[in-house]
Amino acid sequence: MVRLPYTTALTTLFSYGLLFAFGQLRDLFRKLLDWFRSKDLKGYAPICLGLEDFYVRRLYLRIQDCFGRPIASAPDAWIDVVERYSNDNNKTLHRTSNSTKCLNLGSYNYLGFAAADEYCTPRVIESLKKYSPSTCSVRVDGGTTQLHAELEELVARFVGKPAAVLFGMGYVTNSAIIPCLIGKGGLLISDSLNHNSIVNGARGSGATVRVFQHNSPSHLEEVLREQIAEGQPRTHRPWKKIIVIVEGIYSMEGELCKLPEIIAVCKKYKAYTYLDEAHSIGAIGKSGRGVCELLGVDPADVDIMMGTFTKSFGSCGGYIAASKEIIQYLKYTCPAHLYATSMSPPAVQQVISAIKVILGEDGSNRGAQKLARIRENSNFFRSELQKMGFEVLGDNDSPVMPIMLYNPAKIPAFSRECLRQNVAVVTVAFPATPLLLARARICISAAHTREDMIKGLEVISKVGDLVGIKYFPTEPPKLAKEAHKKPVAVILP
Amino acid sequence: MAKLYVEAVPPADMNKNTEWFMYPGVWTTYILILFFSWLLVLSVLGCSPGMAWTIVNLFHFAITYHFFHWKKGTPFADDQGMYNTLTWWEQMDNGKQLTRNRKFLVVVPVVLYLIASHTTDYQHPMLFLNTLAVMVLVVAKLPNMHKVRIFGINAGN
Repeated sequence: MVRLPYTTALTTLFSYGLLFAFGQLRDLFRKLLDWFRSKDLKGYAPICLGLEDFYVRRLYLRIQDCFGRPIASAPDAWIDVVERYSNDNNKTLHRTSNSTKCLNLGSYNYLGFAAADEYCTPRVIESLKKYSPSTCSVRVDGGTTQLHAELEELVARFVGKPAAVLFGMGYVTNSAIIPCLIGKGGLLISDSLNHNSIVNGARGSGATVRVFQHNSPSHLEEVLREQIAEGQPRTHRPWKKIIVIVEGIYSMEGELCKLPEIIAVCKKYKAYTYLDEAHSIGAIGKSGRGVCELLGVDPADVDIMMGTFTKSFGSCGGYIAASKEIIQYLKYTCPAHLYATSMSPPAVQQVISAIKVILGEDGSNRGAQKLARIRENSNFFRSELQKMGFEVLGDNDSPVMPIMLYNPAKIPAFSRECLRQNVAVVTVAFPATPLLLARARICISAAHTREDMIKGLEVISKVGDLVGIKYFPTEPPKLAKEAHKKPVAVILP
Repeated sequence: MAKLYVEAVPPADMNKNTEWFMYPGVWTTYILILFFSWLLVLSVLGCSPGMAWTIVNLFHFAITYHFFHWKKGTPFADDQGMYNTLTWWEQMDNGKQLTRNRKFLVVVPVVLYLIASHTTDYQHPMLFLNTLAVMVLVVAKLPNMHKVRIFGINAGN
């Protein structure tokens, strides 16, 4: 739930209307100018049908330089962003050979493992020499090395489940597993703001998909009751199985899922639960075990826990952790296990070393320090931004904080001005977010020092004044020192 | 100012082409755009207010008919062509008829017609054109016309 000034809603709708009108006018002129040009398709159908690529051509390409910026270094707290220029108003971009060092507020580098680490990197290089960059084989053929077996055990122990299975890509973990778990005659109930990989997997499974209002256990209960009473569409037979899919931290909102209540509802109606912890594993919880630890939920209550290694562990790939029977079944049926190349061994070693650091099994307390630092950093940054008057979403302790921009013109303004002042931020617009609610998403990492964050805050404050996104009243500095009360803007969970 | 801030709850509508219509402020923006375009027409053309309302009504007819009832599909490829045979009006509110948004969108052309015909003192030929516009728009929005293609017009992909 976001709170926006009424005039902002009006102006945002009007801006989108204007952009749409200009896009349509340009399309009309293009059609008129190309009227007499022969369209030699040689009997093939056109690639794009009708209006399909309108948004990409007329809205996205205009501000293309704010997205997909190439980088030239590891995504640590400071990152080298390659400069680009365009000669035809952003339709094509050309790279130069210069790069600027910017403060990195966009990478999901929650625990700081993205750059060279004193424990992980030597071991990764050793495994690279021993096992080579690729196993050149699928898991069932010759692609399961000792490292893979070790990591599966380690992940299962870390998350608190009996067994786990690994996959080479995080997106594929969702989109290839969900069709294996459920098929026609089953029901999938997913949160309305779930990630595209889950939507993709749900569509590919053939099961009926229903959506419940974001993070609202009461609406989930309503949907469950309605669906169980009605049964399958047309035949009204009982559902073969019902799986409810939620995420730990929603990457566009930065808020935690209401896991205890949702699990209670699912247990009442005997539905299975699938928890996608892509952003929360390793980043929250006292020992980094994710949203279950933070909210006090027993991992045995969640049927299937999924996560990725890309965010907190600095590697690539994903995992599924569940009971031994489910994992055994998945190893026999999942195409991502049977036909896809196994995870690269150095990447596996990186995750093993990262988990060992987090658990403290490397013999130092760097893991605990990192976890404490990311919690401190996130809370500090979020409270400072709120004091400055920005509208920041997300719960406390969550390292993801979106700053609301709303107006489509503020997206490139914020992004380009921050880049000019050497701060790299990620801005997100439609269709990844709802139309009105464009935002800039900040991801805080344990690698950010206090000075980095203060510099980031200064730049964001200056740019925020220029662009005009301080929608809430700011807290005057002397009042902030006297009373540590919450600022005027209340962000509802 | 009565309500300075509004709360926007993200609606559980999966179709991104129509979910923007469920946010606060859409109705007001629509009415304000109509009002300001009337002022624009008045200032640019310098005609009588009635003539300006007629022009606004006819442009409104052309634009809303084209985008609500003629163009099919969505402006992005993410939904993989699920709505390629449905016009925007048919996609609204997931196909549910007689919702608040739909009723509002039926009332607007009727009110525009009343204003236009009143300010032109019911003279021809403006009256004829205005009546034609409102009849086509209202018939197109009736619940019985959901997914109906008369004589196969606009039925092609």
